[in-house]
Amino acid sequence: MTASTLAFSHQARHWGLLLSATLCSLTAWGQDAPQDGVYKDRIDWGVLMDMSGPTSASQGIWVHGFRDHMRKINEAGGINGRKINVLAEDNRFNPATDKIAFEKLVSQTPVIAISGMGTSVSQVALAPTIKAGKVPIVGTYTATKALSEPVSPMVYNGFCGYKQMAQAGVGYHVDKLKLKSAKVVTLAIETAGGKEYHDYVAEAVGKLGGSASHLTVKVTAVDMTPQILEIMKLKPDFITVYGVSNTAILTMKGLAQYGLNIPTFGITYLGAPQIFQSMGSAAAANYKFISCFTPGGADQTPGNKALSQYADTIGRGDMKQDINYVAGWISAQMAAEALTKLGKNPTRARLIETLSKGFTVNTQGLTAPITYTPTNNTGPVVFKLIGYDFAVNKFKAYGEFADYEKYAR
Amino acid sequence: MFEQVFFSGLALGSIYGLVALGFAVIFKATDVFNFAQGMFVVCGAYFAVTAISILQLPFPLAILFIIGAAALLGVLIHMVLIQPLSGRPMLSVIMLTIALSIALRAFIEIVFGPQGRSLATPMPTGVLMLGEVRISYLHLTAALVSWVCMAGFGLFFRFTSVGLLMRACADNHEAVVVSGVNVNTMNRLAWGIGSTLAAVGGVFLGQLQIASTELEGIGLLALPAVVIGGMQSIPGAIIGGLLVGIIEQMAATYISPKSSDIVIYVLLLLILMVRPWGLFGQRELGRV
Repeated sequence: MTASTLAFSHQARHWGLLLSATLCSLTAWGQDAPQDGVYKDRIDWGVLMDMSGPTSASQGIWVHGFRDHMRKINEAGGINGRKINVLAEDNRFNPATDKIAFEKLVSQTPVIAISGMGTSVSQVALAPTIKAGKVPIVGTYTATKALSEPVSPMVYNGFCGYKQMAQAGVGYHVDKLKLKSAKVVTLAIETAGGKEYHDYVAEAVGKLGGSASHLTVKVTAVDMTPQILEIMKLKPDFITVYGVSNTAILTMKGLAQYGLNIPTFGITYLGAPQIFQSMGSAAAANYKFISCFTPGGADQTPGNKALSQYADTIGRGDMKQDINYVAGWISAQMAAEALTKLGKNPTRARLIETLSKGFTVNTQGLTAPITYTPTNNTGPVVFKLIGYDFAVNKFKAYGEFADYEKYAR
Repeated sequence: MFEQVFFSGLALGSIYGLVALGFAVIFKATDVFNFAQGMFVVCGAYFAVTAISILQLPFPLAILFIIGAAALLGVLIHMVLIQPLSGRPMLSVIMLTIALSIALRAFIEIVFGPQGRSLATPMPTGVLMLGEVRISYLHLTAALVSWVCMAGFGLFFRFTSVGLLMRACADNHEAVVVSGVNVNTMNRLAWGIGSTLAAVGGVFLGQLQIASTELEGIGLLALPAVVIGGMQSIPGAIIGGLLVGIIEQMAATYISPKSSDIVIYVLLLLILMVRPWGLFGQRELGRV
């Protein structure tokens, strides 16, 4: 054997060893690689919401609620020995960003499931991908038809639905005001959602022998004079508002300015204390919002006490009354409930299989019990009306969830 | 009904006019098309939240705080960001104001949180009846304050020596420099005035609605107002603002809320095509 052959053989052995070592370490890395976002000591759970942009005021608070509930669970030791790591992606109210973030959570930094999906446009765009994919959406922030109909084992709604809001709000007012042929006005911002909500209101009031008129308003409106003058002509028995916080504030201030005492209820998203405070006590006297969630501090149910105490402890006392915070908290409860059922070896496939059989989330009074079945993933369906008590600066509920169950048809 | 809609449009237009005036002052003095003007409106609302709700200052002191803070913000922005870009292409400065707007929004959301804040001032909130016309005191106050500000700054630019110097700076930058006037001081003053006017508009918008970063969009309605009135014209900005307010309300009442955007922007396009220097602006002629 020549010196050069010897050197070659030595070099080959050296490279062979290096290759073997690399392969070994790659295999070891492969064995330690995250399986569907599940690690030895933690599980990654994704959140897709707008934490900046025009809808961040509500969706950002939802994310805080979600994170805080998971933080509480982690402080108590996690779920089945693993901590829950929330990977929240900011969609910036941009469907393109949403798509990129979704793909990232599916394959790049894999998560076991995703919650939120706050932008309806993105939901519609991603619906076929989600339904045909492997990552379930547990606790959606908004429930579009494209994503939630027909029922899919990949999607579980986590927010109050417009149809149910319309049914409960209309039903309650028709009963309370003892109306035979109710006249209702839907005051809504000029969006597809506003039209959809009005259609649900018209359907609900039509079934009860009444009629509904649709008035629109710009999202950026600063004054409601044209709409209020139209309301004066229509003389409705009650009004329902769909829009952003300004829509509700300007409506109630406008009604007060014209001395109109017309009961009004807003959709769930219009349930923040600052909305009532901005209206002022006089204008807010006729205003309530319809919600499937109870704001923090509004009652003494165990679920509400737990939320309120924890929010106060971690310095989020100012958010606990915001319905979006409660909604985020409850979606995290849904996620935790689902993970608990999986036991020691959670995977995406097992999560989908387990969820598809149906499950119930007991929020201990923060909502009525939320039940998902193989044929119904609507989520919260029982609502109640909530107003604001200016004497104590707290929300007050008009009755219990049980009183409104009859409207959940 | 017509009178009611007209008066509400006038009140609304007064606020737009105030913000537009601030925009025009900055543009006239420094040639900067300030896309951050809408965020100055938001800053005004949050200065009010800070002074009234957080610091709980007595209302007169709160007003001084808001004016002082807004003026300081405008001056600082000019000193730190605009002045160093002096002589650079207009596109760089425009990009800077867009970036500034995004940064201010993020900063406010970090400091005050993503939630809007309710803003309650001791300003009157009842309703004034003028025959069949109902006007809220808040709208009336907003309109009166806007008109006083507009008149005050109109007189300032026309009759005070500083106002005259500012106009001179805007009209002939080089001639003023040769005369020994400190142009940077004049420009800083213009930015201070522009941001203060927007902030006053923000205080009213914050109370009419809610103090939130979403007020930026409403503040930016001053843009069509100032283009319609004339970018270089102080009275034009005011009348442009009033026109936008009245058109918005009339279109929303007699056609549909969405149509108000169409009517306003069609008018803007027509003005740009027929009279690009605006209704009250002056045509610029250059020697070749």
